[in-house]
Amino acid sequence: MTTMDSRLQELVERDRSHECQGFGQDHVCVRVVAVAKLPSRFGDFRIVAFWNNRDQKDHIAIVHGDVVGAEDVPVRVHSECLTGDVIGSLRCDCRDQLETALQKIGQMERGVVLYLRQEGRGIGLANKIRAYALQDQGMDTVEANLALGFRDDERDYAIAAHMLQSLGIGSVHLMTNNPAKVQQLEQYGINVSRRLPHLLPPNPHNRFYLETKAQRSGHFIDFTGLPRLQEQSDPVIIEGMPE
Amino acid sequence: MRQEVIVIGGGIAGLQCARELHQAGREVLVLERARGVGGRLATRRYEGQPIDFGPMFIHGQNPAFLKAVKGTEGVIFPSAWPRYLQGHGQPCQPNAFEGEEQRAILPAGLNAFAKDLAADLKVQLQTTVTQVTPDAEGFALTTEAGQTFLCRDLVVALALEETLALLATMPVQPELVGIQALLGMFASVPSLTLLAAYPREVPAPEWDILYPDQSASLQLISQDSRKRESPEFITLVIQGRPGWSAQRMALPNEVWAAELLKLAAEQVGAWVNQPLWTSPHRWRYARVDRGNELSRPILTTFDNGLRLGLAGDVFSPGGGVQAAWLSGSALAHRLLNEVRL
Repeated sequence: MTTMDSRLQELVERDRSHECQGFGQDHVCVRVVAVAKLPSRFGDFRIVAFWNNRDQKDHIAIVHGDVVGAEDVPVRVHSECLTGDVIGSLRCDCRDQLETALQKIGQMERGVVLYLRQEGRGIGLANKIRAYALQDQGMDTVEANLALGFRDDERDYAIAAHMLQSLGIGSVHLMTNNPAKVQQLEQYGINVSRRLPHLLPPNPHNRFYLETKAQRSGHFIDFTGLPRLQEQSDPVIIEGMPE
Repeated sequence: MRQEVIVIGGGIAGLQCARELHQAGREVLVLERARGVGGRLATRRYEGQPIDFGPMFIHGQNPAFLKAVKGTEGVIFPSAWPRYLQGHGQPCQPNAFEGEEQRAILPAGLNAFAKDLAADLKVQLQTTVTQVTPDAEGFALTTEAGQTFLCRDLVVALALEETLALLATMPVQPELVGIQALLGMFASVPSLTLLAAYPREVPAPEWDILYPDQSASLQLISQDSRKRESPEFITLVIQGRPGWSAQRMALPNEVWAAELLKLAAEQVGAWVNQPLWTSPHRWRYARVDRGNELSRPILTTFDNGLRLGLAGDVFSPGGGVQAAWLSGSALAHRLLNEVRL
């Protein structure tokens, strides 16, 4: 076992009896419960499973290189999106965002993708599909989407902060296009030494971003005539697109 | 009659919403169709002995909700209740027995929680609102008895389908179309329920609630008398499963009631077929199933500044009494804190 692997394994041992006040309004507490190798098409990773005291969702850190005790670690926080991440849905850009993050981090010295398992604020996938169904009927109201349970950033970032702390990461370079995320993480005591814009390479599926002007409030209508959703609460920026 | 806020529906969601608005100094009137408050958190009496025939217990983990429940006089959080849980069937809310959930009962009947919430409130009972019309002055409400009310803020806290039916009495409004489409994707499930009383001498079983694991018909049998201090009678509450209940909703009460009694006797013993008394109740909109919930109440502002709020068990995750209470509380918070557009 390499020192890097043993350092990660020690976190499991350390966290067996971990209990703390918790982060955020919900007092979320997490524990590192399992670590394994995860070679992937995007590079050589370790996968770290977390337990949390709030729900039955196993949040995950996908780690590249030696991050325990390291400074300036590139970090991307990704929220689960089954339709995008797995099925390759074109109603959002989640898959491109995830793949780009893994690709970039896989080529760096070190880095972490936090993969948060809380589609639709823990209410589940059904309400996201209901939101799509409303859109299909031409109804896209803020009130309906909020009621359906669109992402609760406060909680996402409380969990993310605790996970980074559990991994022993000293400071992070946060990969995001949303500067507000930097403050959200810092508010939980995470030292964000830099923000790295998260630019996606152009591909046939996101080409329209370069060709069309955004509609009101940053809504983009894609080739299918449907609005492309920003499910990662992070504006999509394609390389070559004016910011 | 002109009011600042009117809440239609004196169930847990409506009462909690009204209560928080009242505590913040708002002038609130609750209009309730039935003869008492509580909605589906229902208790009736046989020879003075309370019988809960909606939920069998209150459960939750939200600290604010538990604090409110704990404030009800006489409430008990029995540590190992239900004491004997027989069968491996699912409770109505699969999470009811999970980790951090606490379960409460009230020897005086669960409805006492609702009465407590309503204690300081202005509630007009036996008042059914049949028509809502927004105009320049406010929401004009018409009741079945021909009474009219006017308010600037209106809260509808009914079962989902009843809320939709009331919204349908309003003229088409752009603000409402999306909300109606949204709520149209959700549905409540029914439960036919039979209450039965027996003499104390019957060989009553040693469990509190039975969730039959193999039954396609029975959701549960609650031995309600075990929640009472020195009960005069053994009482059972028998609730049918949603699918089974839906198929029988149009039948006369005595038909499905006899069927429920027979099904219960098969589970518990032949003595169940010989009650002293029975009483059927149709819960047409008994509850929402998991996965059929929104994350928060709806609040919509009309062009002229009128505000319409919707709360109820569908408007908070998890369903049940806790969800209803939380949705009412969340709606009051929004009504008090959101700036009128």
